[in-house]
Amino acid sequence: MTSGAAAEPAIGFYTVEQSEFTGWTGGLLVLNGGGRPLEFQCTLPIRPSRAHEILYGATLRDYLIGDAIGSLLLSRCRNTPLLVCCDQPEALQLDGHAPCPLALVCEAAETDEGPITADMLPGYDEIEFAGSQIRVAIERADEVRQTIQRLANLPDLTEPFGRIREAIGEAQKQVARARSAA
Amino acid sequence: MLDGIQIEIDAAATVADAALKPAKAFNLVTDPIRPKALPIRLKPLEIKSVGYQFPRAGGGVTVFRNRSGQPATGPATTGTDDGGSGGAGGSGASSAPPAVPPRRPKPEKLTRIRPPADVVKIEDRLFYMLQPPLELLVGSEQLDFPFDPFPYQLDGIAFLFPRYAAVLADEMGLGKTMQAISTIRLLLCSGEVRSVLLICPKPLVSNWLREFSLWAPEIPVAAIGGTAPTRQYQWTSPDIAVKIANYELLMRDRDSVLDPDQHFDLVILDEAQRIKNQRNSTSMIVRQISRTRSWALTGTPVENSPEDLVGIFEFLSPGVLRPEMPMPMIAQATRDHMLRRTKDMVLEDMPPKLYRDAELELTPEQWATYEKAESEGVVQLENLEQQLTIQHVFELVLRLKQICNFDPATGSSAKLERLVADMEEVAASGQKAIIFSQWVDSVDQMRPALERFGTLEYHGRIPHKQREGVIQQFKEDPSKHVIMMSYGAGSVGLNLQFCRYVFLFDRWWNPAIEDQAINRAHRIGAAGSVTVTRMLMTGTIEQRIATVLDQKREMFDELFADSRAPGSVGLSRQEIFGLFNLRGPKGAIAA
Repeated sequence: MTSGAAAEPAIGFYTVEQSEFTGWTGGLLVLNGGGRPLEFQCTLPIRPSRAHEILYGATLRDYLIGDAIGSLLLSRCRNTPLLVCCDQPEALQLDGHAPCPLALVCEAAETDEGPITADMLPGYDEIEFAGSQIRVAIERADEVRQTIQRLANLPDLTEPFGRIREAIGEAQKQVARARSAA
Repeated sequence: MLDGIQIEIDAAATVADAALKPAKAFNLVTDPIRPKALPIRLKPLEIKSVGYQFPRAGGGVTVFRNRSGQPATGPATTGTDDGGSGGAGGSGASSAPPAVPPRRPKPEKLTRIRPPADVVKIEDRLFYMLQPPLELLVGSEQLDFPFDPFPYQLDGIAFLFPRYAAVLADEMGLGKTMQAISTIRLLLCSGEVRSVLLICPKPLVSNWLREFSLWAPEIPVAAIGGTAPTRQYQWTSPDIAVKIANYELLMRDRDSVLDPDQHFDLVILDEAQRIKNQRNSTSMIVRQISRTRSWALTGTPVENSPEDLVGIFEFLSPGVLRPEMPMPMIAQATRDHMLRRTKDMVLEDMPPKLYRDAELELTPEQWATYEKAESEGVVQLENLEQQLTIQHVFELVLRLKQICNFDPATGSSAKLERLVADMEEVAASGQKAIIFSQWVDSVDQMRPALERFGTLEYHGRIPHKQREGVIQQFKEDPSKHVIMMSYGAGSVGLNLQFCRYVFLFDRWWNPAIEDQAINRAHRIGAAGSVTVTRMLMTGTIEQRIATVLDQKREMFDELFADSRAPGSVGLSRQEIFGLFNLRGPKGAIAA
């Protein structure tokens, strides 16, 4: 990754798509302060084996979103974002491994999780940013408050997740086309 | 039995019976249980990833000043002294902290940029797909509009942005200019393009400059003009991001525009139907301009036949269309390159356009003159035999159409009688009307009967310097209820949306021209419904022409099946001969 200090401010958006047919696919989109794409990292679809499903049990989702996929994508990213926004609470576990703070965008997460309340995420602080509420680890809240001032022109925090999902769909279509052509 | 010893049990014995007590100790020996461990080793999940960088979005971006004087984006700054071109180029970076625009409410609809079908590389497709929706850029530094655009206009921008070959063929009045300028602006600010050449008819140059100053005031724009050295400087200046040239100028400056060192990232042709004829010199020059992207803007992509599109596509993407291609194939091949919307499709709030066909009978005087002229004319045409040309037929058609307007001997006119009756109502209700005719002579003949309604005129005999004043007076003077125009002078470039009535005193050859005329009144900002009265004399050449044009509208509808477009095609040579059951050589004419 390049240092984010001298480069223009960048912000990351991370989500993982799960599909019965293709498996789990992670995407990390890095935008500049105006919301334009700088970088997109995504995984190929991951299909955990039956053994993974049995042994990880209920923690499989946590492991995939909050560890395996997220760590890989963040390590591959060449632009260091000032903040990584996610729409799945499991991704907040990445906070320890990521080079920058993680933030849960409540409005984006509520589609699947229902209302995000304070007691669901003890130890997390609520901050308003770009018209949305985000939750960040209390110990990094001050850092995030300063960071978001550099990203004040960012128009929206929820729609970039839609872009990631569309891009993942496009990438999968291309793979399918390539396979059928081969 | 235990260990081979048989013990007899006394069934009658009690618990205290000594016989139940074991006499000696026994060892019980069993095999130990040997559990077997089956190790299940979880292979680490194999996760492969791919990454795409989009340096275009971040670096090497041209910076222009926005409305608030802040640099729009990126590191570099350009500006130009554009010699009063109407552009507002600036230079230098501001030291003030960037102002954060007030946050806008979240839009209900998001307009995303979709990659065109001919973009196949995944990284290129993703670059477009991952761009922010246009609604989120509106109001930002990158897309700061003076007015909120209509949703269909954002669709138009999203259509143009990723395309290297595109036709924006919206009906007149829907804002093709604004859509093109806004997309140019986005492309320049994002660093996708750096040099743009816009070619338009000469009378529209000032309009483009005005529109640039409204929609993209920070973009350095210059109209190529002046002395030869000045023009040479303008052609080569890298500081002029957008150069505007008129079609006629291309001929004069062909050496400059076709210089091997000259390359444009984007070339746009306004009124692109000008190059439908591939053999004309303008068409040949524009096709030779070195360029990366090619766009065409036209409200009438097909004027005479689908082959008009072939000429335009020879500029956009040579080889996509071929002459004599079947229409379904043309429609298929152009679908991804062409966007056409009509007002009916996109402007839900637009007041309706009501057509009223006034099918009238010739007065007895007109009828007598007409019959004589037609029968004699046809005989003359037949006598010409091999010398018969399209021009001869045209002359007869025009003579008959003029009789349909006014009887040359007596001045009798069924159309004028009807028009006066209608104008009574228009004037009484305080409304204003536009009357179109093909001939200024017809306007002269209408004048005496219409003067009491307060008439103004706008046609080829009105000097250019007076025309602006005529329009202003028509707009502001409540006593002026009617303006009489010729199709040639009045069908383009005028905004008369305060008029609720349009009369087509005679019909033009080409419905596209009629549509342009009608759209002077029926356009964005129209005060209410617009009633269009099309005057047609039954049993005459006018009716025969209308019938042929109706059939051609059906052809147009097939070509632009999605657009529900009004007919926009003229008469071919064969069809004109056919009006009098005459045979002529094959080939098309420009109507």
